[in-house]
Amino acid sequence: MNMLKASSLLVALGLACQAGAADAPAGAPVNGSIAYALTNLHWANYQTEGGKSECPDGFNEGNREQFKKLYPENGPKRTLVDTQLRWEIESWYPTLADDGFAFHEARGTTALGLNLDGKVGPNDFTSPTGEPGIDNQLFRALGCIKNYRGPDGAIQFFDDEMIGRDQYNRLIFEITGVEDLVNSPNVQVTLYRGRDPLLYDATGKKVVPGGSQRIDSRWGARYIQHMRGSIKDGVLTTEPVDIVYPWAPFYIATDEFMRAGRLRMKLTPTTAEGLIAGYSDVESWYLQMMKNWSTHHQNYGQTSAPALYRALRRLADAYPDPKSGANTAISSALRAEFTQVAIVPASRPQPATLAAIAARRPAEPYRGPPDPRQPQRPTAAVASPAASLAGAN
Amino acid sequence: MKAAHGRFRHCARRGLAALGFLSAASLAAGAGVSAPTEPYVHVPMPPHFRVEATELDGPVFADPRGRTLYTWPFKIMRVGNTGDPKGQSHCTSVKTTESSGYMSPYPGGLEMPELDTRPSCVQMWPPVLADASAKPVGKWTIVKREDGNRQWAFDGLPVYTSVLDARPGDVLGGERYDHEGDDPAVRVPIGPPADVPPGFKVTTTVIGRLLQNERGFSVYASDADSSTRSNCDASCARTWPPMLAPESVRPHGEWTIIERSPGVRQWAFRGKPLYRYALDTRARSLAGSDEPGWHNVYTQRAPAPPAEFTVQETTSGQVLADAHGMTIYAYTCGDDAIDQLGCDHPTETQVYRLMMCGGGDAARCLRNFPYVAAPAGAVSHSRSWSVISIDPMSGRRARADDAKSLRVWAYRDRPVYVYAGDAQPGDVNGDAYGEFRGEREGYNAFWLRDDYFGRGG
Repeated sequence: MNMLKASSLLVALGLACQAGAADAPAGAPVNGSIAYALTNLHWANYQTEGGKSECPDGFNEGNREQFKKLYPENGPKRTLVDTQLRWEIESWYPTLADDGFAFHEARGTTALGLNLDGKVGPNDFTSPTGEPGIDNQLFRALGCIKNYRGPDGAIQFFDDEMIGRDQYNRLIFEITGVEDLVNSPNVQVTLYRGRDPLLYDATGKKVVPGGSQRIDSRWGARYIQHMRGSIKDGVLTTEPVDIVYPWAPFYIATDEFMRAGRLRMKLTPTTAEGLIAGYSDVESWYLQMMKNWSTHHQNYGQTSAPALYRALRRLADAYPDPKSGANTAISSALRAEFTQVAIVPASRPQPATLAAIAARRPAEPYRGPPDPRQPQRPTAAVASPAASLAGAN
Repeated sequence: MKAAHGRFRHCARRGLAALGFLSAASLAAGAGVSAPTEPYVHVPMPPHFRVEATELDGPVFADPRGRTLYTWPFKIMRVGNTGDPKGQSHCTSVKTTESSGYMSPYPGGLEMPELDTRPSCVQMWPPVLADASAKPVGKWTIVKREDGNRQWAFDGLPVYTSVLDARPGDVLGGERYDHEGDDPAVRVPIGPPADVPPGFKVTTTVIGRLLQNERGFSVYASDADSSTRSNCDASCARTWPPMLAPESVRPHGEWTIIERSPGVRQWAFRGKPLYRYALDTRARSLAGSDEPGWHNVYTQRAPAPPAEFTVQETTSGQVLADAHGMTIYAYTCGDDAIDQLGCDHPTETQVYRLMMCGGGDAARCLRNFPYVAAPAGAVSHSRSWSVISIDPMSGRRARADDAKSLRVWAYRDRPVYVYAGDAQPGDVNGDAYGEFRGEREGYNAFWLRDDYFGRGG
């Protein structure tokens, strides 16, 4: 990523995160409400050129590199079961056993995100604009994996791309009770999923405001959620609530679960930009990754799924399991961009529909394979090559 | 929890009815193919070849013994290509021992599983041979195999039968469902063209053979219409544009033409005027059938699933579910050898599935992706949905009187499963679970309808 683009990104994020909002136009939206549809979404990873600051030991190896070391071409005769299928199983049923490969966590003191717990702890970061106590352990797991780095990382690219392309991902937030878009001390925020394509300009690249959206209150019922918030100096901040949101980054319908999730968005009459932050449920996060990004796709940018799983579990920092005590969620932040849309009035769910939705059993995060494997080396035959080669990483 | 299941079952029954699964016509189809079947164009065929009606894939070509005919279309894959090019068979009697590496990112040259019992391509896909006196007819030609034999070809592609098909009308070796993306290079049953007017086409779905316009958009009919009259007026027609019949076409077979207004003619099928739904945003949509009195149109319906099964709503559409509302999954598999043999039928290797459901541990498989047990007394009502006996530890067929065998539901002769990682009805955590997102090998939810990604219906 070149410095110019990195700087632009940081400036944009900084605008969303700092108090100054001199360019935000004043005025109340019609009927005190305004809605925005998601147009870009990816995990917020702080970057310096070449990863000099956050990845001083370099970037992580992916499946392909580790596969070659585990099962060298000039080694014993390779069987499909003991190599290809074994690797798939390591990915679909990951364990916490050390595989002998080094994993480079993102380092340094700077990260994007929000202070989720209101504290400044030893593992916290400082934001690029100087805000202390930033909780974003997911950045440590993703920051040195090329797939998740911008602008060329394949997963980051497609994360953004598919938000626009697939209606499944049409997350909308509507703010009501808005006195004006610069300062409104008490607003209500409702999340929906829309059903319609975004409205693009003639280039087909840029989303323009004013497009209409029908609300999906049938398949998207679980995404209708409510938050309270406030607008101060043109920045919307919501109170933390557990949220579930649709995200099919590569054609597979999946959900993400974020505990204590909240928005911090710089608002204008046509756009909203900023962060969605909270504690991402680890097993749901990993399942979404595995289902959308096959081993092939993970290799676009050197992801090793088993290694990433171990990092997620190692770095998880909240919501301990009552039985095991292991943390089930990891602090995280998403970089999000929205464009103003008009909700089609006739598509709004009726009170009876909302009541029925509220009465439903809530969606639950994924709890992982019901019969997971016990920690073990991939196979006895391949354990030693991995261990012996680990030093070469 | 029981009460919740009861509620879901109630909702599900309504869902099944809405999809037409419980219609009298579809239930009548249970014993075979006695319900209306798809009309087709009679085309020239080699002597004694015939057309067989099938439950899911409409009319297919069959050899003189009634065995369904398939081709193996050439496919460009991630790292190479395979299948038959026109005029040449790549399916030989040589047993493949190593993987091809066509499925990125894995290298080729890996030793295939169960080599001692691995069949060759022609053992699974016997070529349909032409005798010395055979002559090309219509789209049927003859290609010469490497061993000197002459093989029938259709539209240039060599023709085979499948050893999985036991009776006329079986289509267990492949399906007409449109395979795209990173699926294996599959075999496809071939058949005569559907007898539809210009501007229409038919495609295989899990619900039936769906009638579409030429761009793939679904065609609908209204309960308010009669065989001679449309009750969809000008205002209605803005939402439901009629499928117009140009002056040059004539009614034939089950296709008739009504006159909406002087000079404006509209196609009707089986006595129902036809329309498109203006709010459909994607091909093969079922969304118009949510409007009261409106229905998708099928040339023939798929057989009903087991009576105790239910339909559940997910975040993108509807899935078939078991009696408790838990999503049904099918396991599909094509291996990565150059001959792309199947690995999902109980007579084929189970190595891939046992790895994917339990890391090679059959007992873990039974806990992660358990079979859907058939209730006592359940019998097969169709060929599509059958009760079979399975050895749970090997995944192979078992004798029904084997005390250790399980009686399970099967779709297209392959067991179906639920995923123990689903917590409640509507969960699809086990969907796309496998190699290349389950496209190459893995578990996929039994989608009936998907408004966002177009699966199922």
